[in-house]
Amino acid sequence: MAGTELFGIEMVDIFLAMAITIVIASFVSLYRGIEGPGIFNRIIAVNVIGTKTIVLLVLIGFIYERPDFFDIALLYAILNFIMTIAATRY
Amino acid sequence: MMFDTTTITNVLTVMLLLIGAFFMLAGTIGFVRFPDFYSRMHATGKCDTLGEGLMLVALIIYGGVTFVSVKILFLIAFILLANPTSTHAIAKAAYDVGLEPWRKLDEEVVWLNTGNGDTDNTDNTSNTGEGRTMEDGGEVR
Repeated sequence: MAGTELFGIEMVDIFLAMAITIVIASFVSLYRGIEGPGIFNRIIAVNVIGTKTIVLLVLIGFIYERPDFFDIALLYAILNFIMTIAATRY
Repeated sequence: MMFDTTTITNVLTVMLLLIGAFFMLAGTIGFVRFPDFYSRMHATGKCDTLGEGLMLVALIIYGGVTFVSVKILFLIAFILLANPTSTHAIAKAAYDVGLEPWRKLDEEVVWLNTGNGDTDNTDNTSNTGEGRTMEDGGEVR
Protein backbone atom coordinates (compact mmCIF):
# COMPACT_ATOMS: atom_id res chain seq x y z
CA MET A 1 0.00 0.00 0.00
CA ALA A 2 1.05 3.58 -0.59
CA GLY A 3 0.91 6.28 2.04
CA THR A 4 -2.08 6.59 4.23
CA GLU A 5 -2.27 10.36 4.66
CA LEU A 6 -2.64 13.33 2.33
CA PHE A 7 -2.41 16.89 3.71
CA GLY A 8 -3.69 15.76 7.09
CA ILE A 9 -6.61 13.78 5.66
CA GLU A 10 -6.56 10.04 5.93
CA MET A 11 -6.90 8.27 2.59
CA VAL A 12 -9.33 5.84 4.21
CA ASP A 13 -11.67 8.75 4.91
CA ILE A 14 -11.50 9.82 1.27
CA PHE A 15 -12.37 6.27 0.22
CA LEU A 16 -15.22 6.28 2.71
CA ALA A 17 -16.55 9.56 1.26
CA MET A 18 -16.40 8.07 -2.27
CA ALA A 19 -18.25 4.98 -1.02
CA ILE A 20 -20.98 7.15 0.51
CA THR A 21 -21.24 9.08 -2.78
CA ILE A 22 -21.70 5.83 -4.69
CA VAL A 23 -24.37 4.69 -2.24
CA ILE A 24 -26.26 7.98 -2.69
CA ALA A 25 -26.03 7.62 -6.48
CA SER A 26 -27.36 4.07 -6.17
CA PHE A 27 -30.36 5.26 -4.19
CA VAL A 28 -31.06 7.97 -6.77
CA SER A 29 -30.92 5.28 -9.46
CA LEU A 30 -33.26 3.13 -7.38
CA TYR A 31 -35.90 5.84 -7.81
CA ARG A 32 -35.94 5.16 -11.54
CA GLY A 33 -36.01 1.43 -10.86
CA ILE A 34 -39.12 1.75 -8.72
CA GLU A 35 -40.92 4.58 -10.43
CA GLY A 36 -39.75 4.30 -14.02
CA PRO A 37 -42.38 3.12 -16.48
CA GLY A 38 -41.87 -0.22 -18.09
CA ILE A 39 -39.65 -3.26 -17.70
CA PHE A 40 -36.62 -1.91 -19.58
CA ASN A 41 -36.08 1.02 -17.22
CA ARG A 42 -36.08 -1.45 -14.35
CA ILE A 43 -33.61 -3.75 -16.12
CA ILE A 44 -31.20 -0.92 -16.78
CA ALA A 45 -31.64 0.37 -13.21
CA VAL A 46 -30.61 -3.05 -11.90
CA ASN A 47 -27.64 -3.02 -14.29
CA VAL A 48 -26.55 0.45 -13.16
CA ILE A 49 -26.87 -0.37 -9.47
CA GLY A 50 -24.95 -3.60 -9.99
CA THR A 51 -22.08 -1.87 -11.73
CA LYS A 52 -21.97 0.74 -8.97
CA THR A 53 -21.83 -2.06 -6.43
CA ILE A 54 -18.66 -3.45 -8.06
CA VAL A 55 -16.76 -0.22 -7.37
CA LEU A 56 -18.31 -0.10 -3.90
CA LEU A 57 -16.98 -3.58 -3.13
CA VAL A 58 -13.48 -2.65 -4.30
CA LEU A 59 -13.59 0.50 -2.16
CA ILE A 60 -14.68 -1.54 0.87
CA GLY A 61 -11.79 -3.89 0.21
CA PHE A 62 -9.39 -0.95 0.31
CA ILE A 63 -11.00 0.62 3.38
CA TYR A 64 -10.83 -2.51 5.52
CA GLU A 65 -7.66 -3.79 3.78
CA ARG A 66 -9.16 -7.14 3.01
CA PRO A 67 -8.28 -8.42 -0.48
CA ASP A 68 -11.11 -10.96 -0.40
CA PHE A 69 -13.53 -8.34 -1.60
CA PHE A 70 -11.89 -8.09 -5.04
CA ASP A 71 -12.77 -11.70 -5.80
CA ILE A 72 -16.33 -10.94 -4.73
CA ALA A 73 -16.36 -7.87 -6.98
CA LEU A 74 -15.11 -9.87 -9.98
CA LEU A 75 -17.74 -12.54 -9.36
CA TYR A 76 -20.41 -9.87 -8.98
CA ALA A 77 -19.41 -8.30 -12.31
CA ILE A 78 -19.73 -11.63 -14.10
CA LEU A 79 -23.09 -12.36 -12.45
CA ASN A 80 -24.41 -8.90 -13.31
CA PHE A 81 -23.42 -9.29 -16.96
CA ILE A 82 -24.97 -12.75 -17.25
CA MET A 83 -28.14 -11.58 -15.50
CA THR A 84 -28.54 -8.65 -17.88
CA ILE A 85 -27.99 -10.78 -20.98
CA ALA A 86 -30.46 -13.40 -19.71
CA ALA A 87 -33.05 -10.76 -18.87
CA THR A 88 -32.82 -9.24 -22.34
CA ARG A 89 -32.99 -12.64 -24.04
CA TYR A 90 -36.03 -13.69 -21.96
CA MET B 1 10.38 16.17 0.98
CA MET B 2 7.20 17.92 0.10
CA PHE B 3 6.70 16.27 -3.26
CA ASP B 4 7.84 12.75 -2.62
CA THR B 5 6.40 9.74 -4.35
CA THR B 6 3.72 9.06 -1.76
CA THR B 7 2.26 12.53 -2.02
CA ILE B 8 2.19 12.41 -5.81
CA THR B 9 0.52 9.00 -5.72
CA ASN B 10 -2.10 10.16 -3.25
CA VAL B 11 -2.86 13.35 -5.17
CA LEU B 12 -3.25 11.40 -8.41
CA THR B 13 -5.50 8.87 -6.65
CA VAL B 14 -7.75 11.56 -5.18
CA MET B 15 -8.00 13.43 -8.50
CA LEU B 16 -8.97 10.30 -10.43
CA LEU B 17 -11.46 9.34 -7.69
CA LEU B 18 -13.09 12.77 -7.84
CA ILE B 19 -13.32 12.71 -11.65
CA GLY B 20 -14.81 9.22 -11.54
CA ALA B 21 -17.35 10.22 -8.89
CA PHE B 22 -18.30 13.26 -11.00
CA PHE B 23 -18.94 11.04 -14.04
CA MET B 24 -20.99 8.59 -12.00
CA LEU B 25 -23.11 11.35 -10.48
CA ALA B 26 -23.62 12.93 -13.92
CA GLY B 27 -24.72 9.58 -15.31
CA THR B 28 -27.13 9.12 -12.42
CA ILE B 29 -28.65 12.58 -12.89
CA GLY B 30 -29.05 11.86 -16.60
CA PHE B 31 -30.60 8.50 -15.78
CA VAL B 32 -33.24 10.15 -13.61
CA ARG B 33 -33.91 13.29 -15.62
CA PHE B 34 -33.89 12.26 -19.29
CA PRO B 35 -37.28 11.83 -20.94
CA ASP B 36 -36.84 8.56 -22.80
CA PHE B 37 -35.55 5.05 -22.29
CA TYR B 38 -32.94 5.35 -25.03
CA SER B 39 -31.61 8.67 -23.81
CA ARG B 40 -31.44 7.32 -20.26
CA MET B 41 -29.38 4.44 -21.59
CA HIS B 42 -27.23 6.95 -23.47
CA ALA B 43 -26.53 8.68 -20.16
CA THR B 44 -25.76 5.62 -18.09
CA GLY B 45 -24.00 3.40 -20.61
CA LYS B 46 -21.06 5.71 -21.14
CA CYS B 47 -20.83 7.71 -17.92
CA ASP B 48 -20.90 4.70 -15.63
CA THR B 49 -18.31 2.81 -17.65
CA LEU B 50 -15.92 5.75 -17.68
CA GLY B 51 -16.51 6.63 -14.02
CA GLU B 52 -15.93 3.10 -12.80
CA GLY B 53 -12.85 2.74 -14.99
CA LEU B 54 -11.37 5.95 -13.58
CA MET B 55 -12.11 4.98 -9.97
CA LEU B 56 -10.58 1.55 -10.39
CA VAL B 57 -7.51 3.05 -12.10
CA ALA B 58 -7.19 5.37 -9.10
CA LEU B 59 -7.28 2.39 -6.75
CA ILE B 60 -4.64 0.60 -8.85
CA ILE B 61 -2.38 3.65 -8.56
CA TYR B 62 -2.98 3.73 -4.81
CA GLY B 63 -2.34 0.04 -4.31
CA GLY B 64 0.83 -0.23 -6.34
CA VAL B 65 1.91 -3.16 -8.44
CA THR B 66 0.82 -6.21 -6.52
CA PHE B 67 -1.29 -9.26 -7.14
CA VAL B 68 -4.34 -7.28 -6.05
CA SER B 69 -3.81 -4.63 -8.73
CA VAL B 70 -3.68 -7.34 -11.41
CA LYS B 71 -7.07 -8.51 -10.16
CA ILE B 72 -8.48 -4.99 -10.41
CA LEU B 73 -6.97 -4.72 -13.91
CA PHE B 74 -8.91 -7.84 -14.91
CA LEU B 75 -11.98 -6.22 -13.37
CA ILE B 76 -11.48 -3.06 -15.47
CA ALA B 77 -11.01 -5.12 -18.63
CA PHE B 78 -14.16 -7.10 -17.91
CA ILE B 79 -16.19 -3.94 -17.20
CA LEU B 80 -14.97 -2.29 -20.42
CA LEU B 81 -16.02 -5.43 -22.29
CA ALA B 82 -19.28 -6.27 -20.55
CA ASN B 83 -20.91 -2.92 -19.84
CA PRO B 84 -21.25 -1.73 -23.49
CA THR B 85 -22.31 -5.24 -24.46
CA SER B 86 -25.12 -5.31 -21.93
CA THR B 87 -26.17 -1.79 -22.91
CA HIS B 88 -26.32 -2.84 -26.55
CA ALA B 89 -28.30 -5.96 -25.63
CA ILE B 90 -30.87 -3.97 -23.65
CA ALA B 91 -31.24 -1.38 -26.41
CA LYS B 92 -31.64 -4.05 -29.09
CA ALA B 93 -34.22 -5.90 -27.00
CA ALA B 94 -36.19 -2.67 -26.50
CA TYR B 95 -36.00 -1.87 -30.22
CA ASP B 96 -37.14 -5.36 -31.16
CA VAL B 97 -40.09 -5.12 -28.79
CA GLY B 98 -41.10 -1.94 -30.60
CA LEU B 99 -40.33 0.90 -28.24
CA GLU B 100 -40.16 4.08 -30.26
CA PRO B 101 -37.63 6.83 -29.56
CA TRP B 102 -38.81 10.04 -27.96
CA ARG B 103 -39.38 13.04 -30.21
CA LYS B 104 -39.62 16.68 -29.25
CA LEU B 105 -42.70 17.23 -31.41
CA ASP B 106 -44.79 14.62 -29.62
CA GLU B 107 -44.02 16.18 -26.28
CA GLU B 108 -45.03 19.64 -27.46
CA VAL B 109 -48.26 18.29 -28.91
CA VAL B 110 -49.02 16.62 -25.62
CA TRP B 111 -48.38 19.84 -23.78
CA LEU B 112 -50.70 21.74 -26.07
CA ASN B 113 -53.42 19.13 -25.75
CA THR B 114 -53.38 18.48 -22.04
CA GLY B 115 -52.55 22.00 -20.95
CA ASN B 116 -50.07 21.03 -18.23
CA GLY B 117 -46.41 20.21 -18.52
CA ASP B 118 -46.56 16.54 -17.67
CA THR B 119 -43.00 15.50 -18.29
CA ASP B 120 -43.40 12.03 -16.90
CA ASN B 121 -44.63 10.98 -20.33
CA THR B 122 -46.95 8.22 -19.23
CA ASP B 123 -50.28 9.19 -20.78
CA ASN B 124 -49.62 10.57 -24.22
CA THR B 125 -50.51 7.54 -26.31
CA SER B 126 -54.17 8.41 -26.44
CA ASN B 127 -53.38 12.01 -27.25
CA THR B 128 -50.92 11.79 -30.12
CA GLY B 129 -52.08 8.56 -31.72
CA GLU B 130 -50.07 8.38 -34.93
CA GLY B 131 -46.52 7.21 -35.07
CA ARG B 132 -46.96 4.57 -32.36
CA THR B 133 -46.72 0.92 -33.20
CA MET B 134 -47.30 -0.49 -29.75
CA GLU B 135 -50.71 -0.46 -28.18
CA ASP B 136 -49.26 0.53 -24.82
CA GLY B 137 -46.19 2.41 -25.95
CA GLY B 138 -46.59 5.17 -23.44
CA GLU B 139 -46.62 2.78 -20.55
CA VAL B 140 -43.53 0.87 -21.56
CA ARG B 141 -41.58 4.04 -22.19
